[in-house]
Amino acid sequence: MSIQLPIAGAVGAAAVEARRAGAPAWLAERRSAAWEAFTELPMPSPQRDEDWRRTDVSELRLEEYIADPGTAAAGEALLQAMSQLRLRAAPEAAFVASTRRGLRRREGTDMLDAQGVIICSLDDAAVQHPEQLRRALSTVPPEESKFLALWNALWRGGCFVYVPPGVEARVPVWAAHTAAGAGAAIFPATVAVLDDRASLTLIDVYASPAGDDDMVSVAATPLVLGEGARLDYCLLQQWGMGTWHVATHRASAGRDARLRFFGATLGARLQKAYWEVLLDGQGAEATLTGICFGDGAQHLDHQSLQDHRAPQTRSDLLLKVAVRDEARSIYGGLIEVQRRAQQSDGYVQNRNLMLSRGARASGIPRLEIKADDVRCSHGVTAGHIDNDQRFYLESRGVPRAEADRLIVRGFMQDALDRCPHQGVRELLTELLDEEIAGHPVAGVSSDEDVA
Amino acid sequence: MPERPTLVVEGLHAAVEGKEILRGVDLRVPAGEVHALMGPNGSGKSTLAYTLMGHPKYEVTGGRAGFDGHDLLPLSADERARLGLFLSFQYPTAIPGVTTVNFLRAALKALGKELPARQFLQTLSSEMATLKIDEGFRARYINDGFSGGEKKRMEILQLAVLRPRMAILDETDSGLDIDALRTVAEGVNRVIGEDIGILLITHYSRILEYLRPDAVHVLHHGRVVASGGHELARRIESEGYDPILGAAAGAPA
Repeated sequence: MSIQLPIAGAVGAAAVEARRAGAPAWLAERRSAAWEAFTELPMPSPQRDEDWRRTDVSELRLEEYIADPGTAAAGEALLQAMSQLRLRAAPEAAFVASTRRGLRRREGTDMLDAQGVIICSLDDAAVQHPEQLRRALSTVPPEESKFLALWNALWRGGCFVYVPPGVEARVPVWAAHTAAGAGAAIFPATVAVLDDRASLTLIDVYASPAGDDDMVSVAATPLVLGEGARLDYCLLQQWGMGTWHVATHRASAGRDARLRFFGATLGARLQKAYWEVLLDGQGAEATLTGICFGDGAQHLDHQSLQDHRAPQTRSDLLLKVAVRDEARSIYGGLIEVQRRAQQSDGYVQNRNLMLSRGARASGIPRLEIKADDVRCSHGVTAGHIDNDQRFYLESRGVPRAEADRLIVRGFMQDALDRCPHQGVRELLTELLDEEIAGHPVAGVSSDEDVA
Repeated sequence: MPERPTLVVEGLHAAVEGKEILRGVDLRVPAGEVHALMGPNGSGKSTLAYTLMGHPKYEVTGGRAGFDGHDLLPLSADERARLGLFLSFQYPTAIPGVTTVNFLRAALKALGKELPARQFLQTLSSEMATLKIDEGFRARYINDGFSGGEKKRMEILQLAVLRPRMAILDETDSGLDIDALRTVAEGVNRVIGEDIGILLITHYSRILEYLRPDAVHVLHHGRVVASGGHELARRIESEGYDPILGAAAGAPA
């Protein structure tokens, strides 16, 4: 057995130590415990772990990726590209951008500052708003899984938003996470705590405008909705084709809270994303909507949870997936209705469109219902482009490629219509068109930009 | 005088899933004329329509088909459309998520007939009004949840907006009540002219009272067995197909 020397800045104990320095005691302790859990927990395995049965990460060598980039270039061009994406879709939004170096940009927050909305890095929140941060972090405990443990040990910077009781945030918050350079490891963190009757639109973007470097991203976004709170959460995952991305997006909704969760999965070499909503309070409701487009050799895995823990809660999930080339989509969903969650409704729909012979998509929804007075259903379909639809368009002169583009866009339309922010919806429509057309996303060069 | 653009079908054989349906169809439809193609169920009328438009399910096993001097058979459906062919579907296909207005723009663009946005919308509005189609249909998804009559009107709207040079109308009159039939027939009448040929496939002679075809053909067992003027349609209306088919069957091959 060979002994490997740790790589400077790599995912490892030294990186955890660097983050402990300067952190409040509770957080330093939490990071240590998380690192310990990480080292003890095995990598998820298709044989052992039900939710990893179809997604294999055994080739991912986490310790070979660099969490702390040392004295490399500053990544200004990357941040600029991330900012431009925001300007395309939501120029009104407050902008918070992080790289491996932590929080790098915080702009356009005046209006929200004046409303008493707190927007800062998680590091600052740990010092200045520890109760709220701890409340959110308690929903993503390190011991739960290998990747959550790693995230808890190593997150840095990120975007923390707290909306005080009764405050309706007047503009959205746009949280951007970016990295570049072969071997980069980033641990994106977006945390939102909405106090009672507060409302917010949060746009959460993961992208590597520099291209397709071999990177790893392990993310978590604990979202907490107090009583009667309203959160519109728009997620865009647009990592380059070299990135491994494992993310836990988990919202807990209090009494009469309403969550609209909208996720777009376009990027990454491999994604394992958990989209979870815990309906903790009576009358809470959530819609979860996803669009996913995969091509090349992408492996995109979504795992949803709609956990009805209180009476009269409602959830409705729609995931539309199109895959091309050799891409593969995996969807697994669970609706759980606890014994006390009477008179609850839960729905899941997963529709898959396969655009090439080599592309594959599967969906396996499950129901676990312990209450007796509930309405739940699920449906999955998978198919190829309908020849009659294609012929109909072609018979009007529309060439094959354009006909297919129209059909795929049309297939996604009802999901896109559920995107709660119009600018994001328009951006996604354009990005989807680019994906379908097979154009690479224009970006910046990674040579000059390691962040 | 140069010959008018003409749809020429000669000895056309075609099969669906290995079964031969067309067994040597001969037909000439020049621009500026309306030809009706009649025939009992199963005679191959729709097969001829799909085959001429280039549906991949229909395999040509012999003969030829051309338009305006071009061989149609090697061309894909969209290439045929760009040559000027149009098919009004008997059962138009729904395409969820694609609005009528976006679809028509994509089609016009593909045909090289793109209009400035304002002019396009004006044209669309006036054609929709003529066909008594509610403005709301602009934003609706193509044929998605449309009634049978709405679908047929939408086909004729496309005919009016896209202005092909040779239109095959496959039972555009079926499933329409008398008022809808008149509206659709008037819509077709408005596009009839020197620049367009029409092959009107129908079961019934009623629409022919509106459209006054220049020629009527009867298809039977995958062949044109009789041709004539409008009087042939009237004869079918009063006597049915049997006397004509009987005479055709009795004629020397």
